[in-house]
Amino acid sequence: MVGKDCVAIACDLRLGMQALTVSNNFPKIFNYAPSTYLGLTGLATDVATVSDLLRYKVNMYRLREERNIAPQTLANLVSSTLYEKRFGPFFVSPVLGGINQTTGKPFICGFDSIGCIDFAKDFIVSGTASEQLFGTCEGLWEPDLSPEDLFETISQALLSAVDRDALSGWGAQVYIIEKDKVTQRLLKGRQD
Amino acid sequence: MTSFGRYTSAETVGYSFSQPTSAPNKEHSFYPYTDNGGSTLGISGSDFAILAGDTRSVAGYNINSRYVPKVFKIGGDDESGDGAHILLSVVGFAADGQALKERLDAVVKMYKYQHGKPMSVRACAQRLSTILYQKRFFPYYVHAILAGLDEEGKGALYSYDPVGSYEREQCRAAGSAASLIMPFLDNQVNFKNQYIPGSGEGHALEPKKAEPLPRETVEQLVRDAFTSAVERHIEVGDGLQMMVITKSGIEEIYSPLKKD
Amino acid sequence: MEHFPEAWGRPRNDIYGPYDHSYLQTTGPKAHTQSPAVTGTSVIGVKFNGGVAIASDNLASYGSLARFTDVKRLRVFGDSAIVGFGGDVSDMQHIDRLLNSIDIRENYSSDGNLLNAKNLHTYLSKVFYKRRSEFNPLWNHILVAGFDGDGKPFLSSADLLGTTFSAPHLATGFGAHLAIPILRRLFPEDTPLENISKEQAVEALRECIKVLWYRDARSLDKFSIATVTKDGIEVKEDEKVEAQSWAFAETIRGYGAQVN
Repeated sequence: MVGKDCVAIACDLRLGMQALTVSNNFPKIFNYAPSTYLGLTGLATDVATVSDLLRYKVNMYRLREERNIAPQTLANLVSSTLYEKRFGPFFVSPVLGGINQTTGKPFICGFDSIGCIDFAKDFIVSGTASEQLFGTCEGLWEPDLSPEDLFETISQALLSAVDRDALSGWGAQVYIIEKDKVTQRLLKGRQD
Repeated sequence: MTSFGRYTSAETVGYSFSQPTSAPNKEHSFYPYTDNGGSTLGISGSDFAILAGDTRSVAGYNINSRYVPKVFKIGGDDESGDGAHILLSVVGFAADGQALKERLDAVVKMYKYQHGKPMSVRACAQRLSTILYQKRFFPYYVHAILAGLDEEGKGALYSYDPVGSYEREQCRAAGSAASLIMPFLDNQVNFKNQYIPGSGEGHALEPKKAEPLPRETVEQLVRDAFTSAVERHIEVGDGLQMMVITKSGIEEIYSPLKKD
Repeated sequence: MEHFPEAWGRPRNDIYGPYDHSYLQTTGPKAHTQSPAVTGTSVIGVKFNGGVAIASDNLASYGSLARFTDVKRLRVFGDSAIVGFGGDVSDMQHIDRLLNSIDIRENYSSDGNLLNAKNLHTYLSKVFYKRRSEFNPLWNHILVAGFDGDGKPFLSSADLLGTTFSAPHLATGFGAHLAIPILRRLFPEDTPLENISKEQAVEALRECIKVLWYRDARSLDKFSIATVTKDGIEVKEDEKVEAQSWAFAETIRGYGAQVN
């Protein structure tokens, strides 16, 4: 979710096999540069594989380039990585959020499982509660939110949405990304 | 003559005109339902209830019409619905919705003629459940919401599944965009996940109590819910029909929505 | 010598096995229409100042075969209503018989036929809904044109499921895809009816029929067109698509005269 000079990215903490909850502490957001984060929903084994594969690719990028990867660059890296598996895809739909350190501008985008990028100016949602998230985000979000307001908005949107999805919930994790500060918060949420 | 013994019973001879046969029952390929899309939403207040629905009717990717109402007055004196004191919204299969509306309307009218008093919303709610359940094995493919004022004059809202399970609620969204609207309503009407700032630390934090909202707030919430749904759901749009029931009667408000 | 005459001329059971009677079954499930057989394609209609215009071509297809090329699919009812039929032609003739008997009954009644197009549409949609509820549908999609109880132009649709809807311009079948966009461009939906003349409406329908003839493979260049106004009904049943231009086909591979 985009705010004024800030970006927020949030996820729930549940891991399940259909209706069976396997873990209630399974964060789905991964950090790839000081102000660049990637959320991965979908098949847990692919979440782990893709996040590790990208970790490797981003590390190689950083060694070669001797600088951090920009969110836009990571977006293209994610896209091409997913499209490599066009006919046997990773079952993930990533969400990327970050601030470009060169321009200082917020950047968010989402992907389908084969790497089609969805650039958005407002918010990106993904996962089993995506319909609910579309509703809450479309209803609560407004342009140019301050970091504090953005935190409140994304938290309310996420918690209310996952409460209406049987397959999501068990608390949440929220990152508020500003140009030179990242705040991570844990939300308790409903534990059922 | 050798063949004589073979044809002693009708079973082997086979009269074509009386032969009982047991062909397997053929599957009916006719599907008697269609989804006409759209969404409805109801919210009750302390002395009013609002039922709203978009006015688009679809069949697949086709728009049938931009104005097909989903909210109806029940038990009115004539076609205009004047004198009605109950509202019904139906979303799903429009032909079933129409049939259900007409049946409930007739029931409420008959009640008035036979008992000499208008049917209470509570009784009407129970009756609607019965009507739906009577067709348990060939259901009315609709999500119904019934609204009115209860015996104390408070807003009353009942929501149903297609086979008649029902419940009185503060608010309910139904139809194709229900999953988008409902969590928004949880948050904004029942204040779910909202806490009173500074009321305590951690678990001691006090949840914000849900209280009946004033009419202006509710109307604005309904508009916001629908403009949001229109953005993200292709079956919702064209127009918003809102019916507000208060002790002074029923008010109908129509406002345009995006037509794309 | 075979002594049983019912076995004469039949495949011998001892050689070919017991005779299979299943195709002659007299018991078992009752057969209903599972799919239409001889069908009509689009019907298109548009309201104008003081009335309604409606048109359809004169073709009845049997699958991809243009089986009957002189079938009138617009039916006049009383002196102020027209029904246009798409879908199964035998079901159309069945409904036509229903309408005839109603018309006769109404005309024998003391105050003449007072059924307007709106009443007719309500009746037909209930016939459709009843038949679909019996899993024995009448496989049609119809438009009803005429006047409502207040004397305002009326145009509404009903289909085999009993779904009904109304709009300033309507079309069934392929017309919903090809004709509606043309009509909507000519007469935007917020255009007051006063700004649409009868001549404009008729000309628009002729144009739509032409486009359907160009692009709908199950259509015909012979068509019927009718208008209902306060002065009565005007029907022309032997119209021909005029001023055809197939220039567009030249540029389309496989449509025009290209060799490769």
